[in-house]
Amino acid sequence: MKPAIDIQGLSVAFPSRTGTVHALQDLTLSVAPGTVFGFLGPNGAGKTTTIQVLLGFQEASAGTASLFGHATTHTIAREKIGYLSENPDSYNFLTGRELLTFAGRLFSLPSSEIKKRTAELLSETGLTEAADRRIATYSRGMRQRICMAQALINDPELLILDEPTGGLDPLGRRDIRRMIAARKEAGKTIFFSSHELSEVELACDRIAILSKGRLIAEGPVSSLVPPGESLERYFINTVSA
Amino acid sequence: MNKVITLVKIVWLEMIRRKDLYVLLILLATLLAALLSFDIFGLSQVAGYVKDMGLLAVWLLAWILTINTSVRQLPQEQQQGTLFTLLAKPVSRLDLILGKWLGAWSLTCLSLLCFYATLCLGVWIKGGFFNPTTLFQAILLHGAALSLVCSLGIALSTRMNRDAAQVTTYVVTGTAFVILPQVPSMLVGANTVTGSALYTIYYLFPHFEFFDLRRRLIHDGGHAPWLVVGEILIYAVFMTGVFLTLAWLGYRKRRFSRGDIL
Repeated sequence: MKPAIDIQGLSVAFPSRTGTVHALQDLTLSVAPGTVFGFLGPNGAGKTTTIQVLLGFQEASAGTASLFGHATTHTIAREKIGYLSENPDSYNFLTGRELLTFAGRLFSLPSSEIKKRTAELLSETGLTEAADRRIATYSRGMRQRICMAQALINDPELLILDEPTGGLDPLGRRDIRRMIAARKEAGKTIFFSSHELSEVELACDRIAILSKGRLIAEGPVSSLVPPGESLERYFINTVSA
Repeated sequence: MNKVITLVKIVWLEMIRRKDLYVLLILLATLLAALLSFDIFGLSQVAGYVKDMGLLAVWLLAWILTINTSVRQLPQEQQQGTLFTLLAKPVSRLDLILGKWLGAWSLTCLSLLCFYATLCLGVWIKGGFFNPTTLFQAILLHGAALSLVCSLGIALSTRMNRDAAQVTTYVVTGTAFVILPQVPSMLVGANTVTGSALYTIYYLFPHFEFFDLRRRLIHDGGHAPWLVVGEILIYAVFMTGVFLTLAWLGYRKRRFSRGDIL
C-alpha cells in the first residue's frame, strides 16, 4: 500500500535580503495510511512550509513530496485530502450550506452526495440551525467548525490540519477534537501540526519533531517519550538540545 | 469545466451580494434621468444627443466596472486567505484563472445588457431608436472588448498588487482607446526611431477602437459588414487568449504563503 504522505529529501529555500533562508533541509518522512501523525516544532521550525509543499502552495527547492503516490504538484494528489488551517478563512458572503455545496462541487461530487454530506456535516458540527445564515455572522468557533466541515465534504482519506485548535476557546477546541477523534476511529490518516502537546499525546500514533528546518526526532509517541515523562518535557528537552 | 463553472458562480454571488451592480445601475439611471430632464443649449429634444451622451456613459461605466471587478479577483482570494482553501482542493491554477475571468466577464456582459436596455429606454422616450442590427453588433463588439479588458486586468493582477494592477489597467486601456487611433497620423513625418517606437506601441497595445460602433449607432450609419465583425471577434478571442496565457504563466509557479499580501 502506498504511503499517505511520502517526503524524500525535501528542502525549501527562499532568497532574502540577508542571503538564503533554509526553511526546510533534507526532510524525509513517511506516513502510513490510517496513522494519526503529529507534526511538532517551535515557531519557524518549518511545519507550515512542509504543509504548504504538501498542498502545492509552493514548490520544493530539492527533493520530492507525494500524497498517495501522486506528486503534490498535480491536482489529482488533492482529490483524497481535506485541509484545515489555523485561520478560519472562508467566503463571508456565503451561508454555511452554500460553502459546503461549493466545496463539494470543487471535488466534482454528485449533487445528491453533496446534499447528503452537507446535512451530515452540519449536524456533526452543530451548525444545522445556522446553516442558512451568512458566515459573516458566525463566531470564530462556528467559522472554524464550518471550515472543518468543508475540509471533510469529500470524506477525505487524509486530513491535513495546521494548528486546528489555535485561537479557539475550550468548547471550540473540544468540538474540533471530537471531529478528529471520529475520523481516527474511521481509520482515516490525520497529519496535524499543533502546539497543544497534551492533545497530540492523546491523539497521535506517531510524531515528528522539527527544529530549524531539520527533522530531529520521529517515531511512535510510546517509544520516543521515556516512561514517566510527559511529551511536553520530552519536546522541550529535544528542541533545546 | 465543472470546477470553472463553480468558480464562476462564486464570482457572481459575491458581486450580487456586494451590490456593485445596483450602484452602477442607479448611476446610469440617474445620468439618463438628467439627460432627459435638462435642456442644455436647447439640444435636449434631439434623440441623437441622448444617444451620444448615453453611449459615452455606457462605455465609461462598463469600463470602470470591468476593471474594478477583474483586478480584485485573485488578490482578494489571497488577502482573505480563501486562496489556500481553494488550492488545497483539486483545483488547478488554470481553473482558477479561467473561473475568475469567465465570472468577471460574464457579469460585466450582463450589466452591459442592462446598461444598453436603460439607454434604449431613454432614447425611445426621446422619440429616437437604434437600428436593431447595428445595436446587436455594437453590444456584441462591446462585450468582446470587455473580455480583453477583463483578461488584461487579471493578467496584471497575477504580477502586481490590486491597486497597481488597477491603475495600470486603466492607463493601458485608456491609452489604447484614446491615443492608439491617432498613431497612424503621428507616423507621418516621424523619424526612424520615433516611427519604430510608435509602430511597436501600435502593434503591442490592444486596439479597442475596432470594437467601437458608437458613431454608426448615433448617426444611423447602418450595420458593419459581418465579415469585419467576425474578424474583430477573432482578434478579441486571440488577444484574450494571449492575456490569459500571460496570467497563467505568472501564476502557475507562484509561491503562496500566508502573510504575503498581493
